[in-house]
Amino acid sequence: MENLVSAQGVVKKFGSNVVLDSITFEIKPGEFLFLTGPSGSGKTTLLRLLVRDLVLDAGELKVIGFDTGGLKENQMVNLRRQVGVVFQDFKLLNDRNIFENVALPLEIAGMKPEGIKKMVGEALDMVGLSTKPLAFPAQLSGGELQRVGLARAIISRPRLILADEPTGNLDPLTAKAIIKLLVDIHKNMQTTIVVATHNAEIVDTLQLRVLSLKEGKIIKDKKGKYE
Amino acid sequence: MNKHIKLAFSRIARAPYQAMAAILVMSMTMLLAGIFLAIGVISQILLVYFETRPQINAYFNQELSPQPQQIELIKASLLATGKVEDVKYVSKEQAFEEYKQQNASDSLLVGAVTSGILPASLSISVKDPKFMREIAEDVKKEVGIDEVRFEEEIVDTLSHWTDSVRFVGLILVGTHGLITLLVVLLVIGIKVSSRREEISTLRLLGASKRYITAPFVIEGVIYGVAGAFLAWLVILLGVLYTTSFWKFFLDGIMVLSVSNIMMFMVSVLLFELVAGVLIGSIGGLIATSRFIKS
Repeated sequence: MENLVSAQGVVKKFGSNVVLDSITFEIKPGEFLFLTGPSGSGKTTLLRLLVRDLVLDAGELKVIGFDTGGLKENQMVNLRRQVGVVFQDFKLLNDRNIFENVALPLEIAGMKPEGIKKMVGEALDMVGLSTKPLAFPAQLSGGELQRVGLARAIISRPRLILADEPTGNLDPLTAKAIIKLLVDIHKNMQTTIVVATHNAEIVDTLQLRVLSLKEGKIIKDKKGKYE
Repeated sequence: MNKHIKLAFSRIARAPYQAMAAILVMSMTMLLAGIFLAIGVISQILLVYFETRPQINAYFNQELSPQPQQIELIKASLLATGKVEDVKYVSKEQAFEEYKQQNASDSLLVGAVTSGILPASLSISVKDPKFMREIAEDVKKEVGIDEVRFEEEIVDTLSHWTDSVRFVGLILVGTHGLITLLVVLLVIGIKVSSRREEISTLRLLGASKRYITAPFVIEGVIYGVAGAFLAWLVILLGVLYTTSFWKFFLDGIMVLSVSNIMMFMVSVLLFELVAGVLIGSIGGLIATSRFIKS
């Protein structure tokens, strides 16, 4: 099976600071992978490279068949439409309600309103927020905001979901619920999911594949017990 | 497109004071542009009037009544030079009638002149004021011509003034256009900047540059259209209020009819709408693309 993500000697620098130092790994379609490591190890930088929010300085990084080193505008847009992203700080638009926030990827892709309504309903059902489509972000709790973020990430049935510290701003109970939701989504949709976290408890409990980074290098690639 | 228009209007509604400021600045500039356009049109009317009216008057000997053949000969020789636009013969009787019309309000002046006292004349229009002296010298040599008068200095001054008006007009229109563009850039730039986070999120969700840019460009167009209409309304009120002055000022030069005023106002509206839409959209486009690039 062809890899969904293939990184060969990827280097990323900010000035003279080498953040990712020649890292190599692959992710197969349908995998669930935790990206762990201390702050500054390069987790977020790697996720930003995967969604082409940053451009690598050396090496080769292929995501869903796109070579991220040399993408044109329309290719970049196509790549991003196949990747769902969940942010630590949710990144919801405060002047739009929950329905509108979740609908954004479909609206951007040019889907018609009837289709959008149906798919948003299903996504909100999946994350347990079907009763609050008209609420605004300011009216929701942290856990609910992250559920909205998840609904937005899965709405367009992406081939890859990237979650950057999705539980970083949540209490332990809510954090577990969000991770459980991600695992459920993975099981139900067979989507490839990469979660950057330093929540060791969650990682140890689930025992899925773990890619550990330290000072920009991969120090461990532990296969999950279910793989 | 419809959703972008809705989004642009909702953004305007969410920041009404910012939008109001943008529209007012746009309308101020449009007002200045409209006023200058009016000055330009009036200058053009005056210029055409002075350029096309007879500039040389050649008077026949008062004792003589020129024969039609003689008049035709002089006309033909003048037109043959290629430097004369038109030659019109004014008989003694026509001269007297014109005098009476011009002084109709002063019975003393009308009574002091009889029909035989004014000489017959030729009114000559030259193609270019620079031929005036040469043609005047030629016509002086014709038999029966007693005196030749021409307004060389007035036409020279007017030509110079008109050239200056055109030059200053270009500079002013150019400067105002640039100022307006910068103002729109600034206003939309502030809006783009305040939505920096939102734009980054939209880009990560797969939004194209066009998707991001469209609502801001439409917002600029809305400012342009609203500013143009506002300025046009002020100009319309100003024109209506000063119509009697313009009728007096342009008396004898052109008839200021309702259709003339309507045509002028429609032209101003079209000019301002096109200028507003162009400036608004270009401003929106530059402001957004600068941010997306960065």
